[in-house]
Amino acid sequence: MSTDRQPNPSNDFMIEVQNLSHSVDLGTDSLTILQQVNLSIGKGESAAIVGRSGSGKTTLLGLLAGLDLPTSGTVHLDGHLISALSEDERASLRSRRVGFVFQSFQLLPTLSAIENVMLPIELAGLPDARSKAEGLLDRVGLAERMQHTPRQLSGGEQQRVAIARAFAVDPQVLFADEPTGNLDTRTGEAITELLMTLNREQGTTLVMVTHDQQLADRCQRHFVIEAGVLHEKQSDKQTVTAA
Amino acid sequence: MSVTSKVISFSQDLRERNVKVMLLAMIIAVATVATINAFADHLQRTLMTSASGFLAADRQLNSRTNAPIPEAWYAEAINQGLEVGRMVEFGTMVSNETQFQLVAIKAVDNAYPLRGELEWQANLDGDRETITSGPKPGEVWLNPRLMRLLELQPGDSLEVGATTLKVSGVIVREPDGGFRLSDLAPRVMMHIDDVAATEVIQPGSRVRHRGLFAGNSAALADFESWLEPQLTENYRWINVRQGETLGESLDKAEGFLLLGGSLAVLLAVVAIAVASRQYALSQRDRVALLKTMGLTGKRIRKLYISRLVVWGLISTLIGLMLAIPAAWLLASMTAQLMDQPLQFEVDFWQLWPAILTALVALFAFAYPPIDRLRNTPAMRVFRSLPSNDSSALAKDLLLAVVVIFGLLWVYVNDIVLVMALLGAVIALVVSLAIAGAGLIWILRRFPAGKGSWRLAVIALYRHRNATLSQMSVFAMTIMLAATLILVRSSLLADWQAQLPEDAPNHFLLNIAPESVDEVEAFFNQHQINRSPLYPIIRGRLTEINSQPAVEVALNKDDDELRRELNLTISDSYPDDNQVIAGQWFEADETKGLSIEQSLAESLGVEVGDELGFTVGAEKITATITSIRSVQWDSMRPNFFLIFPPKGAIDGLPSTSLTSFYLAEQDKQLLNDFVRQFPTISVLEIDHIIERIQQIIRQVTQAVEAILVMILLAAIAVMVAVVSATMSERQREGALLRTIGGQQRLLVRATMLEFALIGFLAGILGVLAAEIAVWALQYRMFDGEFRWHWPVVLSMPFISAVILAILGRWQLTPVLTVSPMLLLRRLE
Ligand SMILES: Nc1ncnc2c1ncn2[C@@H]1O[C@H](COP(=O)(O)OP(=O)(O)O)[C@@H](O)[C@H]1O
Ligand SMILES: [Mg+2]
Repeated sequence: MSTDRQPNPSNDFMIEVQNLSHSVDLGTDSLTILQQVNLSIGKGESAAIVGRSGSGKTTLLGLLAGLDLPTSGTVHLDGHLISALSEDERASLRSRRVGFVFQSFQLLPTLSAIENVMLPIELAGLPDARSKAEGLLDRVGLAERMQHTPRQLSGGEQQRVAIARAFAVDPQVLFADEPTGNLDTRTGEAITELLMTLNREQGTTLVMVTHDQQLADRCQRHFVIEAGVLHEKQSDKQTVTAA
Repeated sequence: MSVTSKVISFSQDLRERNVKVMLLAMIIAVATVATINAFADHLQRTLMTSASGFLAADRQLNSRTNAPIPEAWYAEAINQGLEVGRMVEFGTMVSNETQFQLVAIKAVDNAYPLRGELEWQANLDGDRETITSGPKPGEVWLNPRLMRLLELQPGDSLEVGATTLKVSGVIVREPDGGFRLSDLAPRVMMHIDDVAATEVIQPGSRVRHRGLFAGNSAALADFESWLEPQLTENYRWINVRQGETLGESLDKAEGFLLLGGSLAVLLAVVAIAVASRQYALSQRDRVALLKTMGLTGKRIRKLYISRLVVWGLISTLIGLMLAIPAAWLLASMTAQLMDQPLQFEVDFWQLWPAILTALVALFAFAYPPIDRLRNTPAMRVFRSLPSNDSSALAKDLLLAVVVIFGLLWVYVNDIVLVMALLGAVIALVVSLAIAGAGLIWILRRFPAGKGSWRLAVIALYRHRNATLSQMSVFAMTIMLAATLILVRSSLLADWQAQLPEDAPNHFLLNIAPESVDEVEAFFNQHQINRSPLYPIIRGRLTEINSQPAVEVALNKDDDELRRELNLTISDSYPDDNQVIAGQWFEADETKGLSIEQSLAESLGVEVGDELGFTVGAEKITATITSIRSVQWDSMRPNFFLIFPPKGAIDGLPSTSLTSFYLAEQDKQLLNDFVRQFPTISVLEIDHIIERIQQIIRQVTQAVEAILVMILLAAIAVMVAVVSATMSERQREGALLRTIGGQQRLLVRATMLEFALIGFLAGILGVLAAEIAVWALQYRMFDGEFRWHWPVVLSMPFISAVILAILGRWQLTPVLTVSPMLLLRRLE
C-alpha cells in the first residue's frame, strides 16, 4: 500500500477507489458491508449511486468522503490517500474541498438559516462569510427567510439551506445522501433541479446516493450497489462491472 | 460574534436542557457549600459568644496562686483592641454586727460582665431583673440565702473585713457562676475598688485573680499567641470549650455541619457528572457534523472547553450570590433563639471551599466526557453509532474517587469522615453495578405482566443505560440524605440523653447525718425525686508516698493541695466516668482509692502510689487503685477522689450531697426548704442547664436547617437528572399517544417505571447510608450502631413516591399538547 501523501500525479480523478472492502465488528462475528469495490470519478463529473435500502450506499459515501477508513483497499480523495492521514488531517482535507447534503438536512437548530450557511465558511477561515452566505441563500430562493431558524422552515426550505451550506466553501466535491429522501415528489424535483444547476455552475464533482431513478439518470455516471457489490450501469442501460 | 462561537455560545447553551441542568447543579453545589460554610462559621461564633456568658468574657485568665495578673498583660490586651475586666475572688467572714457568716466574695470592676448578664432583685420579694453590671463602689449584693441568714434588708450595712458596705440588692445569678460543688459558702458580690479597704487580703490568704478578655476572634488570637509563651503554670488561659461547659456538644455540632457540607459537595459532584455526561451525549451529532465540515479534534476541544470555563465562572458567581442571602436567612433564623444575636458577616475565606468545589467539579467531572466528544466518529452524521466508552468510564470513576477523596480531605480534614463516606460510596457503586446487572437480567427474561406494568418493565429495559445511571444518582442522593437524617437523629438523641429536660438542676450540700430523714420527708411531701445521697468527707491531701504533698507534687502550686477536698464513698463510679488506669474496687477492697485523671497528672501520681489525707484530727492513707476520666460538663455530681465502702474514710464524720430537679414554677419551694434547713447549702444550676439547653436548641435548629437545605438540594438534583432525559421520554410518550396509547395507561406506566427506579435506589441508598453512619458513629459522634428500621423501611417508599411524582411531572407536556405538535417540536 502506498503511503504517498502527495497528490497522485498519474490521474485526474477526484475520487479513486481500489479493492475496497468494509466490514464492521459485531462483537462475536463481523458483518461485511462492502466487497471489492473499485471506482473512479473524474473531476467535475456527477455520479449517482443507486441501491436498495441497506445495500451499503451510505457506508460507501462515508468512506469516499474520508469520514471513516475502509477495512481494506484504498481511497484517494483529490489525490490524497486517506488511509495514510490521521483523523485531523482528513478533517482538514475536507474543510475546503468537501460539502455534504444529508437526507435529514442536519441543520443546527439553534442557528438561523444564514448562520447555518456561514458556519463552514468561518470554520474554513474564509473571508466575507456573511455576504457569501447571503448570496447563496438568495440563489436558493430564501432571501426572505435568512433570519429564520430551521424549525420555522419547511422540509424543502431546510434542504435548500443545507444545499446553500454545502456550496458555501466552493467545494471541489459534494456528497449527497438521498437529498430528496425526506421530501415529497414535487419538492424533491425542485431540490434536484437546484442541486444539478449549482453543481454545473460551480463545476463541482458530485457523488449522490439516491433511489430516485430520474435523479440518477441526470448524472453522468450511474452506479448500482447490491448487497455490498458495486456495478456501473452504462448510459445505454447495460450493466457492466465498473472499471 | 462569529457564528462559530455562536454554535456553542452561552446563550445557545442555555436553550440546551442538559446545560441548564449542569448549570443548575453547579449553582446548587456552589451555593450549598458556600451557605453551609458561611453559616457554620457564623454559628460557631454565635455559639462561642452565647457560651461566653459562662466565662462572663470570651476568655478568662485565672491565677492558680495569690499572684495578681501582671498589669502589662492587660495593657497589651487593650493595645490589641480587646476589652478587659478584672475580678478577685476570696473567702472571708462578713457580719451584720450580731452574726458572722463565712462567704465567698467576688469583687468585680465596672467592665464586669464583658459577656452574659446578671440576675438581680432589688429586695428579697422583688422581681428578677436582668442587668449587665456589678455593684457600684461602696455597695454590696448578697445571695438570697445570706440575706435571710443575716436577716438583712436593702439599705442595711454589711461589715466586710475592715470596711462597711451598703447592701443594695440581691444577686440571684451571675453568668460565670459555674458549677463548683466545692464552693459551699454563699456568694457576696462587691466592687473591686473596695477590696483594699477590707484589709482581708494578706500574704498567705487564699485569693484568686481572674482577668476577663473579650473582642473579635482575630484580636483574641493575636493576644493569645503573644501571651502563650509568657504563661507559667500559675496561670490558666481558658476559652469556653475548656471551661466547664459544653465543649463536646459544640464539637459534635461542628462535625455535623462539616458532614453536611461534605454531603453537599458529593451531591453536587454527582449531579454535575451526570449532567455533563448527558450534555456530551447530546452534543455528539453536532460534533460529527462539525467534523464533516473539517473541524479538527483540537479545535472541537477548544470550543467546548471555553464554554466550560464560561459556565464555571457564571454558575460560581450566581451560586455565591445566592449563598450569602441564604446563609443570612439561616443566621437570622437561629438569631431568634438568641438573647444577643451576633452580627452576620461573610469573608472570602468562607467562600473559597465553594469556589474550589466548583473548579474541581468542572474539571474532574464535567470535563472528561466533554473532552471525549472529539472522539465522536464523523460517520455519526449518517447513523447513530454505539459509543464504546466503558474503559473511559472506568477511568472517570477512578479519577472521581481520587478527586472526591482529595476534595473532602481539603474540606473537612478528617480521615474518619472521609473514609466513611468514601467507603459508603464505593460500596454503593459496587452494589449498584451488581443490582443493575441483576435487574437487566431479570427484565430481559421476564417482561411479564399486563397493561401499565408491562409497559413500565419494557420501558425500564429499553432505557436500561439511562435507567442505571439515573438509579445511581438517585441511590447516591438518597444515601447522602439518609446519612444526614440518621446522623441528625442520633445526634439529637445523644444531646437529649446528655441533658434531659428533667436533668437535676439543684444540688443540696452539707446535709448533716441527723437531718437526712427530715430532708427525705420534705422531698416525699413535695413529691420530688432526688438522686442517691453521696457521703462527703472534707479532707486535705497532705502526703504523697509519705512525703509532704506540697513538696513532692509535680505541680506544687495546685489549688487542690491548699483546700479541703470533697472525698466520697461509693462502690460504683458515675456512668459517664471511665477507668483509664488500674482496676475499679474489688468487692472487699479496704485500702484503695480512685483518683481523677487531671488531679493525678497535676500531682504526678500513678496507680500504686500512696496518698495521705488529714480529715479533722485524723490522718489516713490509701493506695491509688484506679484513675478515672470525669465528664466535668455532665452537670452531675463528680468527685476527684472516691473511696470504697469499707475503705480508709469509712466511719469518719460526714455530710451528704444530693441533687434533684425543680421546675421553674416550683422554685418558691426552695424558700421553704431554706427556712426549714438553714444549714444546708442549695446550689442552683438551673440557669446553666437552661443555657446549655438553649444552645442545644439553637444547634438543633441549625442542624435541621442544614438538613432541609441538603434535602432540597437532593431533590433539585433528582429533578435535574430526570429532566436530563426528558425530551427523549417526551418524544416516546408523544409517539405512544399518536399510535393510540391511552393517557391513563401512559401516566400509570411512567409513574410505575419511575417508582420502580426510586424503590430500588431507595433500598440501595439507605443501606449504603447505614454503612456510612456505622463508620461515622464510632469516631465522630461516638454512639453505638443499631439498625434504624423506620428510616430503612420508609426510605425506599418515600423515594418511590418522589420519583413517581417527578415522572408524572416530566410527562405533563406530553399530555397537554397535541401529539402532532409535540413530535414536530421535539424533532
Ligand atoms: N457501524 C455499523 N454497525 C453495524 N451495522 C452497520 C454499521 N454500518 C452499517 N451497518 C449495516 O450495513 C448495512 C448497510 O448500511 P448503509 O450503508 O446505511 O445502507 P444504505 O445507506 O444503503 O441504506 C445495513 O444493514 C446497516 O445496518
Ligand atoms: Mg443510507
